[in-house]
Amino acid sequence: MLPNFINRRQLLQNTACGFGTLAANAILASEKPTQPFSSTNGLHSIYHHPPRAKRIIFLFMQGGVSQVDSFDYKPQLDDWHGEKHTFDDARQLAKTGKRTEHHLMRSPWKFQRYGESGRWASELFRESAAHMDDMCLLHGMHTEGVAHGPATLFLHCGATNFIRPSIGSWILYGLGSENENLPGFVSIAPSVGNGGPRNYGSAFLPPKFQGTKIGGAGVDSLSIDNLSRNGMPHYSQREQFDLIQQLNRAQFQRRGNHDEELDAAIQSHELAWRMQQIAPDVLDLSGESLQTMEMYGLNNPKTRSYGERCLMARRMCEAGVRFIQVNYGDNSANPAWDQHSNLPKHSEHAQAVDKPIAGLLQDLKQRGLLDDTIVWWGSEFGRTPYSQENGTGRDHNPSGFTVWLAGGGFKAGYTHGQTDEFGFQGIEGRVHMHDLHATLLHQLGLDHKRLTFRNAGRDFRLTDVQGQVVHEIIS
Amino acid sequence: MVYLPITSVRAILLVLGWTSLMVHLPWSVADEGQDKQREQAHFFENKIRPALIKHCLECHSTATEASGGLLLDSFAGWQAGGDSGPSIIPGNVDGSRLLKAIRYEDAKLQMPPKSKLPLDVVEVFSKWIADGAFDPRVGLVAEKSSITGLPVDRAQDHWAYRSLSSRNSSSESVDSSSSLIDKFIDARLAKDGMVPAQSASQVALVRRLYFDLTGLPPSARDIRRLIGADGSGELDYESLVDRLLKTPQFGENFARKWMDVARYAESVTLRGFVLPQAWRYRDYLVQAFAEDRPFDQMIREQVAGDLLKHDDLRQRHMQLVATGFLAMGNTNLEEQDKTQLEMDYIDEQLDVIGGAFLAQTIGCARCHNHKFDPIPTRDYYAMAGILRSAVSLEHDNVSKWIEQPLPVSDDDAARFRQLSDQLTGVTKRIASIKKSPTIADSSKKSMISVTDLSGVVVDSRDAKLVGIWTVSSAIGPVIGDGYIHDGNSDKGKKTATFEPPNLPPGAYEVRLSYSASDNRASNAIARVFSADGEATVVIDQKKKPPEEGLWISLGKYRFEKDGQAFVLVTNDQSDGVVIVDAVQFLPAESRLKAAEVTKALDIGVLELANKAASKLEKELKLLEGQKKQLETQLGQRPAYLTVIEKGPLVDIPIHIRGDVHNLGEIAPRGFLSAVKTSSGNLIPAESSGRIELANWLSSADNPLTARVYANRVWSWLMGQGIVSSINNFGTTGTAPSHPELLDWLASELIRSEWSTKHLVRTIVLSNAYRRCVVESGELEKRLDPSNSLYWRGYMRRLPVESIRDAMLAISGELDLTAGGSLIRGNTKADYNYHHESTRRSLYQPLFRNSLPELFEAFDFADSSMSIGLRPRTTVATQALALLNNPWVTARAKVASEKYLQLDPANDSPLWLNDLFLDCFGRLPTELERHACQTFLQNGNAIDKSDRLQNMIHSLFTSIDFRYLE
Repeated sequence: MLPNFINRRQLLQNTACGFGTLAANAILASEKPTQPFSSTNGLHSIYHHPPRAKRIIFLFMQGGVSQVDSFDYKPQLDDWHGEKHTFDDARQLAKTGKRTEHHLMRSPWKFQRYGESGRWASELFRESAAHMDDMCLLHGMHTEGVAHGPATLFLHCGATNFIRPSIGSWILYGLGSENENLPGFVSIAPSVGNGGPRNYGSAFLPPKFQGTKIGGAGVDSLSIDNLSRNGMPHYSQREQFDLIQQLNRAQFQRRGNHDEELDAAIQSHELAWRMQQIAPDVLDLSGESLQTMEMYGLNNPKTRSYGERCLMARRMCEAGVRFIQVNYGDNSANPAWDQHSNLPKHSEHAQAVDKPIAGLLQDLKQRGLLDDTIVWWGSEFGRTPYSQENGTGRDHNPSGFTVWLAGGGFKAGYTHGQTDEFGFQGIEGRVHMHDLHATLLHQLGLDHKRLTFRNAGRDFRLTDVQGQVVHEIIS
Repeated sequence: MVYLPITSVRAILLVLGWTSLMVHLPWSVADEGQDKQREQAHFFENKIRPALIKHCLECHSTATEASGGLLLDSFAGWQAGGDSGPSIIPGNVDGSRLLKAIRYEDAKLQMPPKSKLPLDVVEVFSKWIADGAFDPRVGLVAEKSSITGLPVDRAQDHWAYRSLSSRNSSSESVDSSSSLIDKFIDARLAKDGMVPAQSASQVALVRRLYFDLTGLPPSARDIRRLIGADGSGELDYESLVDRLLKTPQFGENFARKWMDVARYAESVTLRGFVLPQAWRYRDYLVQAFAEDRPFDQMIREQVAGDLLKHDDLRQRHMQLVATGFLAMGNTNLEEQDKTQLEMDYIDEQLDVIGGAFLAQTIGCARCHNHKFDPIPTRDYYAMAGILRSAVSLEHDNVSKWIEQPLPVSDDDAARFRQLSDQLTGVTKRIASIKKSPTIADSSKKSMISVTDLSGVVVDSRDAKLVGIWTVSSAIGPVIGDGYIHDGNSDKGKKTATFEPPNLPPGAYEVRLSYSASDNRASNAIARVFSADGEATVVIDQKKKPPEEGLWISLGKYRFEKDGQAFVLVTNDQSDGVVIVDAVQFLPAESRLKAAEVTKALDIGVLELANKAASKLEKELKLLEGQKKQLETQLGQRPAYLTVIEKGPLVDIPIHIRGDVHNLGEIAPRGFLSAVKTSSGNLIPAESSGRIELANWLSSADNPLTARVYANRVWSWLMGQGIVSSINNFGTTGTAPSHPELLDWLASELIRSEWSTKHLVRTIVLSNAYRRCVVESGELEKRLDPSNSLYWRGYMRRLPVESIRDAMLAISGELDLTAGGSLIRGNTKADYNYHHESTRRSLYQPLFRNSLPELFEAFDFADSSMSIGLRPRTTVATQALALLNNPWVTARAKVASEKYLQLDPANDSPLWLNDLFLDCFGRLPTELERHACQTFLQNGNAIDKSDRLQNMIHSLFTSIDFRYLE
């Protein structure tokens, strides 16, 4: 069933009357090429090469999911449990430049094979692992930053410290949005911590490419700031809007009717008004069937919250949003999956996200959306296969962890790379976060080396001077 | 000849090529050396070349990117090596970087990055190098760019590095300066036959001047006084300019402009740390601009204020606080590699110093020579070396910025010193009390020392244990080192034996101590082994020990020399936790006495201990209260955000490729070598060079500084710079549209002793400034659509601070109090901070994670970097914010109450004139008046105030509110 807003949208588009065409800088330009290729101004509007996907849904597991307790099965940890072994612990290495000894720790969860590809996953993710044959597992991921803040910024912006645009804003800058009445880049329930708005910001890219926040971590309601006015009946809003545009027209006329910028400002009011009518429909989940709601776990208080976010992601996906980040995290300095001393808590988090993720994959698939949508699941880093001092949790590990991708032209049922016998460091098929960024852009038809923006005298890229497309994982 | 496996077509071809070469050599003369060479060549072709192609050349070849500057596609390539030097030393396996990299020995140098090579391949390379690294490949090494895009010795080729043109430094009369601006501008227009637009209306000019100079709108009263409500009175423009320049609001407005450049903020993004003292730097700026502090002095104060001489306390304060400029960076304090963190911090400082004062992109030279401008990497590290001794952080897992107490008067200093001494004393006393054993465990229980008890006491610590017993002291009183319990598990498998060493023979009363509780066993078993044999006693440990609250007697027994003498406690068949604290062997004859002693202990020592503990506790409470009070008092001592000049005075090495762990040659401290000033670029040995850096930056001879600042002030008033890339005067920036005018303005700035107000006054008095926005000719529009030649006025958009301040001014809520911190006490992190104050926008806490209302939507400068020109966007989120933001709605509501009061009758629309004068600086047009009146009349009487609110809200939202004429 198509959401009913489509009809209303068409209606509004047909009846909206403005003062001329939408100004180029008005906002969220449509996919139609409006400008020739340019590295400094606005949209590229032209693909560097034929795209395999149109959009990305990023399921962000904030805090660092442990790879050896989820998708990177290491039976050796059982045999070596409690034994001491020397590691290049990232934190110690950064602090002292020295290797240190640590006690290996087995996973408290059972692993089993899933799907025809027969790949291992732990019971933490048994529901999403049912879609194992759709997943492309990257076991050799590595990244920069040992602490959450830097690593989270690196994940989103490709830099631990410098102020850089986020990946969503780069993509929006490169491709524009498919729907002019909606933001082209949204972050659902983002955390205010660990970089907060910088993780969906546009830095030196024009502000129209910044992400729009929907709700926030720890907030139940999923709404866009300033999208609607509480307690004012619709007819009053309409009446007031008419007065505003009347005044605008009178003032525009008084100035001689010819300033493009003023015209654009007046247009932006029309657009705002349309967004105000349309966006709430996309945000409204109540029209979904009971069956769908159940599929996303909306009927269970434990899965409801993330389920709603995932379901909204699908609706955004249908509405033509380019980059949809679905956050699972919180506002603390040790967010969600950050189990330094209480590893069993992983199961609480897994329980909250597993069914919704499975539901999302199933739903996208049955609607044919998975073909041109990339689903990207991952954290800012992984965790160590050894325990921390108190022996009950795992520390951060940027040198080897797992990310999975589904849809969008990636090899389904494929495993790329591997970590050492304990799951600590990638030893084969290592994929740096820059490489992952390059590859994601590649699938969207963008060349990470050519997607540049001139700022402070030089051309900047998402991948700095690094990044290689991982061709092995592309189908 | 040895047999060599042929593994690929490539290898076959190579071998064929090699053998055909060999044909020319008569086999007969082949000696041992030739054999060896042949063997090496073969080895290279079969093992090394394929491995290089397969694993290395994707990144390290002339055809690709020569990553790290290293080429591995020719002998010359690896011989020259990469940025870190030669990668292979023939014959020296362990000394070759290439081997280090492929062995993955160094976590920071691991090649190939994607995965470690198979061991046999590593072995092959190791053998190859050990044998001398024979490599027949010839090839040219691409010349490494050892020079900057524009060589330093040719810096003068670029306009910005030339000194100010000399003919402008002549003493043109300052009075005629404004008309000089017009001379330059008009001459340029005339060249293309362009005619400048006429002057804007008085109505427009008043509003323009108010916003440009003070950031606030003129009130209806101001306008009536200056030009009358209809704008027909004659405006004394010049005296209005002078009056506005004198207002404190001018200082505030220009401080805010400079805050963009200085990336001013009051928190750090990561973890939302609040910088509680940052506001002092803002207040310094407000004061400095208000009193027209010479800008060269402001430069010196911001870069090296802490090192400058001073005459009095106020001056010292100003200078110290100004140095906060260096400490405003939005830094990753969590970085674990502290060397990296320090260099990143310095990089940020260089970036801001470069952008703010010189409009140079110095940061581009961190990893390699600047690709476009005459800034070699050496210059970068020469300047970094200067900042290295200005310590900016105290390191910890999460490092911290530096705050210092502001100097105070001698009296205050003595008082603070006294308080501080008191605090030290109190803190010490607290620590010692907390350490004392009495208090350490006194909260719930008492400890009784074994030595305080009579007879022979065996503590649970000395018991022989079978099975796992847990030591605890949760429930007191406790004898000795806590008690042991069986954890209520493994019944029948745990025993604890209490055996006194060398118990003198005799009769003893044997007693056992335990702490009672509901979860204890009612049938714990103790067996006494004595000369009388073995006796079993069953103890109900749910009940309190009957004797002195500590003991239960197990009976009287005789013990002989060398006979058995011990008590065994077992958990056999017990129905709860079995617990033992100690076993006492009391000589029978002293039983009475002992009982008294223990009794005394019970009511005496024990309570004494408790009393002592509670006395200490009381003292502790008192001391902690005192400590808090002292800290509060000391907290009132003003502190400031700064750097401390205490690092070692050393030159630092060039960091190859910007890598903090890959060091090259030493770069002696210095400045940009392309910019020489008459004072020279010398740094005395005993100085870090920061004062010299400040002097060099603020020198009138520095061709960049005065130009950059003059251009900045010009852009603040004229909408765009003469050089439109405000923070980039390098070769990738834009050329000046009016080079002579720029040089003249810069010279004028220097001549006026770097007076910002003089420069502002000069500019706003020009005709170019006063031009009208809309008047335009076809020719002008065609030739210069972006108005870069200033033939018409530019359309000002209110910055978000002014949008906000104007709404507050109109609603009557604006609080013009100046200075101070608005951060609410106890704000630990800036997340979700709610801004409540109705003070001017620049005084709102500038939190990087929680900007004040509307800031994000309306193009506020990113406070994480130096911003020369804010973005100017028109997006629907702005319209949405104006339409729906509750803060805006609230202002309209308050305003509606104010205007309702103005005109209770509310029939005559005179008040509408006032409202329009307040909102737009002009009277309503007929169309507007009609639209507003119709809107108001359509409602019934009940919702009149609502409709007025909605109408005022509509005025706030309409274009004339935020776009000036």
